[in-house]
Amino acid sequence: MTSTPNTTFPRMKAPARGRMLQWIRCNRPSVIGVGLLVALVVMGSLLVPGFISVQNARSILLLAAFLGLASLGQTMVALLGGLDLSIPYVIGAANILLPSLINTGMPAGLAMAILVLAGLVVGALNGALSYKLQGQALIMSLGFGFAVVGAAQIYTTLGSAVGGNVFAPIPAWLTNIAAFNGRFFGLPIPPVIVIWIAVTVVTLFIVRNTWFGHSLYALGGSRVAASRLLISEFRTWLAVHAISGGMSAFTGVLLLGFSGGGYVAVGDPYLFTTVAAVVIGGTSLLGGGGGYGSTVIGALVLTVLTSLLVGMGMSFAAQQAVVGLLIIPMVALYARTPHIRSQI
Amino acid sequence: MNDRTLAVDLSGVSKSFGETRALVNCQFSARAGEVHAIVGENGSGKSTLAKIISGVLREDSGEVHVLGATPRNPVEAQALGVATIFQEVLVADEASVIDNLYVGLDGLLRRKFSARQREQEARSLLKRFTGLDIDPSMPVGTLPLSIKQWIVICRAILRQPKLLILDESSAALDLDATMRLHGEISRLRDAGTCVLIVTHRISELVRIADRATVLRDGSTMGVLDKVDINEKNLLELMTPRDRHVSEADNRGSSKKAALPPLMSISDLRSVQGAEPINFKLEPGTIVGVTGLDGQGHERFIATAVGIASAHQGAPLVHLPDGSIAAIKKLSDAEALGVAYVSGDRKREGIFPDLSVFENLALGLYRDNLGPMGFIQRAAPVSAFAREVQRFSIKVGNASNKITSLSGGNQQKVLVARAFAKKPRLIVLNDPARGVDLGTKRDFYRELRAFADDGGAVIYLSSEIEEFIGFADRVDVFVDGGIFRSLTGDEIAEEPILAAMFGQALEAAMTFDMQRAAS
Amino acid sequence: MIDTKPFRSLMRRNEHLFVPIALFIVLLVAAALRSPGLFTSSGVAGAILVAAPLILATMALTPIVMAGRGSVDLAVGPLLGFINVTLVQWLVGSGWTSPVTIFAWALFVGAAYQVLQALVIIYVRVAPVIVTLSSYLFLTGVNLMIMPRAGGVVPEWMTKWGAGTSIISPVLFVLIAGLAIWFVFTRTAFHIHLRMTGADERMAYTSGVRTNWVRIGAHLLGGMLVGLAAICHTALISSGDPVQAGTYTLQAITALVLGGASLSGGRGGAIGSVLGALNMFLISHLLATFNFGMFSGFATQISFGLILIISLLINVLLTAPKIQAMR
Repeated sequence: MTSTPNTTFPRMKAPARGRMLQWIRCNRPSVIGVGLLVALVVMGSLLVPGFISVQNARSILLLAAFLGLASLGQTMVALLGGLDLSIPYVIGAANILLPSLINTGMPAGLAMAILVLAGLVVGALNGALSYKLQGQALIMSLGFGFAVVGAAQIYTTLGSAVGGNVFAPIPAWLTNIAAFNGRFFGLPIPPVIVIWIAVTVVTLFIVRNTWFGHSLYALGGSRVAASRLLISEFRTWLAVHAISGGMSAFTGVLLLGFSGGGYVAVGDPYLFTTVAAVVIGGTSLLGGGGGYGSTVIGALVLTVLTSLLVGMGMSFAAQQAVVGLLIIPMVALYARTPHIRSQI
Repeated sequence: MNDRTLAVDLSGVSKSFGETRALVNCQFSARAGEVHAIVGENGSGKSTLAKIISGVLREDSGEVHVLGATPRNPVEAQALGVATIFQEVLVADEASVIDNLYVGLDGLLRRKFSARQREQEARSLLKRFTGLDIDPSMPVGTLPLSIKQWIVICRAILRQPKLLILDESSAALDLDATMRLHGEISRLRDAGTCVLIVTHRISELVRIADRATVLRDGSTMGVLDKVDINEKNLLELMTPRDRHVSEADNRGSSKKAALPPLMSISDLRSVQGAEPINFKLEPGTIVGVTGLDGQGHERFIATAVGIASAHQGAPLVHLPDGSIAAIKKLSDAEALGVAYVSGDRKREGIFPDLSVFENLALGLYRDNLGPMGFIQRAAPVSAFAREVQRFSIKVGNASNKITSLSGGNQQKVLVARAFAKKPRLIVLNDPARGVDLGTKRDFYRELRAFADDGGAVIYLSSEIEEFIGFADRVDVFVDGGIFRSLTGDEIAEEPILAAMFGQALEAAMTFDMQRAAS
Repeated sequence: MIDTKPFRSLMRRNEHLFVPIALFIVLLVAAALRSPGLFTSSGVAGAILVAAPLILATMALTPIVMAGRGSVDLAVGPLLGFINVTLVQWLVGSGWTSPVTIFAWALFVGAAYQVLQALVIIYVRVAPVIVTLSSYLFLTGVNLMIMPRAGGVVPEWMTKWGAGTSIISPVLFVLIAGLAIWFVFTRTAFHIHLRMTGADERMAYTSGVRTNWVRIGAHLLGGMLVGLAAICHTALISSGDPVQAGTYTLQAITALVLGGASLSGGRGGAIGSVLGALNMFLISHLLATFNFGMFSGFATQISFGLILIISLLINVLLTAPKIQAMR
């Protein structure tokens, strides 16, 4: 399930049971993730009436799709050993800029394309500025996010009488893509879920089959060794941040269809849920291990968990606290830093 | 039970790191008031032994007695009177010289020495060893490496240790400074301190060690008394018996002078003020490169493949069509058919999270990219099969992580990666570090075959024995330049050693004779 | 001739303070031009009141950052908020309003939570950033559970603190107490251990520094300062607020970087942190003097973001040559 590009290679015959164990050991995070997912679904079906229903499955998938799309960039940045904390702010900025652009009379499709492109550029800029900071890059991305969202809010407020939220007539097709009751060619599936599946397939394929994808894992594993193979750390760092910015903007514009009005704080939950999805999926935050396949599982686990907690009557605040508590044991499972004794 | 004068007494100590067994049922003891050497090749477990004695590592099994107790961490070891100088020069660049010297000497809250005391002591100590008047409030980062090395040594001496451990720690010192260090070691010994010297450099020991314990593959091979400490005895214990007589003489046939060179270097200076380097490499030749640590041979290797840039000049590669191109950066080397293999597997070789196959294939994808940057697996898969066969790599399952292989097999994968690129010249930086004899032999055989097919090899090693029966020429570096090029019968223990210490040829002979006489 | 050596060594040790000092002077001049009211007695009193929580929060981050491993405490804002809401909701709500109880609670909760984080960092061996990130999430949620919306009352003796009419105010004393704790700390050997641990943990460990104790101590000190910051914050807003304190995280980190501390450890101190926090205060004060109308919140946001970016870049430019020399 992970997208670690470990090509299966014509191998020597091993006994079937040994191979099974081997496979489990290689894909331990995915096995744990799927196990967690199954356990949560079972718990949900026992504890929450109506948990197993088409309605609930659809709403879980819808929310997981937004989270999954927003976490794509975070996964790639994490594969290099970094974190991008600008994601929520770029989402928020795109979310208020889209109606603002629509209000100028621009076609919604064009506005969306422009915003995704702008997200790519902004992300690349973030990458360029934070490259030299390494361990402190996430603080830079935080500051960068603030600057972006501040600028976007100033821009949207310029022409309007009220600050903050922005409203515009949203085209029906955009609402259909992201709304709970959206339909995909007549099927009762919100198209954003289909988009997420498509993005996942394309991402997994690209990571597995391109030099860029292999560079990610090489750099995450060993920077020096990667540089000896002429893999440019700077270019890869720039690229993952650009992807992160672009995907954040994309999520932001899709969320407009979901919520119906531009609201800058719409991205706020994604500050930590993207990190949580990456971590729960099993991508090591030290770089090198995991992948988007893992994050897909992580996003599903997180969304099912949230749905379960909501079903049990927990407030949003309590959900946040639970997810916060969950992060440390999950990281401890996959990415403990080595003991100082072994570093001398 | 224990001899009262024993400062260190270890029995039956074992220690493993994952699959690697660093120490196997190892015995070791040292008395107070002696200089005791722990000798062994790279990977023989001597550093692990030193780290267990200094409390950094804990043994898996066995008995450890250090100054009457078993230190569980460096704090306890220090309280017992152990001071260790580690291989790596551990200093905090941003902190002052004083702080770097006195670190760890205070209580958790209370300071042990006044600021004035620290300043004076630091100044006089550094003056005594370096001969320089260094402002102790300077940040250490601005000082040269040799001074940093002295700071680390002074840090240990300040503690007035009962047991002093030097783990390959004269690396950054020049010959003169090494002598001063030896003087200090003798003084400490006479004052009753037990001094442990961990090294693979035998010549260093002959002069000062009272006793020597030799390790091989994590086990104690024997203990030598002062009179028995000489290179012959040490080497005999350090290396497996059949090692010296190379299985087959891998030296090339000796007439290739007519061929035009593959690489030439003239008047290259790695750093400002270094000796100029002139170097020629003909096809079919294997050139060994060596020197004492810090003499510029490692820098030379880095320059030859474009990892480091030279202060002046650049290596030139002569292409088959007669044109000449310079190597200024690593990508030039790659484009010109120069491949590089590092012996520092962990840092600049392997990708620990990736499979055995990926580790080899990563070097090849770039040359076989399809449309739109898509990788094509056909070429790497066949190259993998070929190289696994050639080096008889024990892969098990190719999609297992590379870290599941032994160190020797990991290194084979890295060398195979270089071979798979079909280069004209292979540059190897101490590739045999910590690998077993069989692996070394595979390397020698394949590198010779490569040279016989018209390729050329530059092979850096810190272990002289590697060159014997293998290299066509050995260039010995001193002060950043090639001090002497040895060929033919000169490629032997004594002449190489002499050159490493910058001695003239005749002096080497007399040095040897003197020792034989004593 | 005057011996310039001690002076030069002082300069060298405090190189990182040049930028914050210069910025401080520039901002003071600008403030004098734009808003002379700041320099009156009540202006200064108000400034102390507003700036004290940020100054103390920045100082709280300082020892934790100095301990190295990139341990910026992202949870400092929510922790401050946690102390704030528990003070108002639990203590005052239960009638425990004596100053001793309030101070003891604030210091204890701050210190205990920080020590807990230190223990997780040391023994679970999870990167500090992740630990504090999850703390941020956890505490933000918990704060809202304790107090769903802003409100409540502070003890009676504290209501007068928030008036901010005279310079010699209780808030000033709390601030001075924080600085005194710091001053005592720098006199001990522990300060050296902390700097060395942050500068190179492996060296400190092998040289016999009890690095685990040092890390715990750094968090303990930081936690106590968070407690003091929370008291000043509570006095400032005169109520409990589950959300507002969260914003201190970004402000305090920005102030820390602005004060010349290195986020990778080893370098930092109270003077830099106080200067950084004062600079932050002056910047927002100056921004407030411009009539941005409904932009004002956004203008503050964008400026804080930009300041953080710029000061990080300056920090990198200052340290980059040294890192080069190391290789």
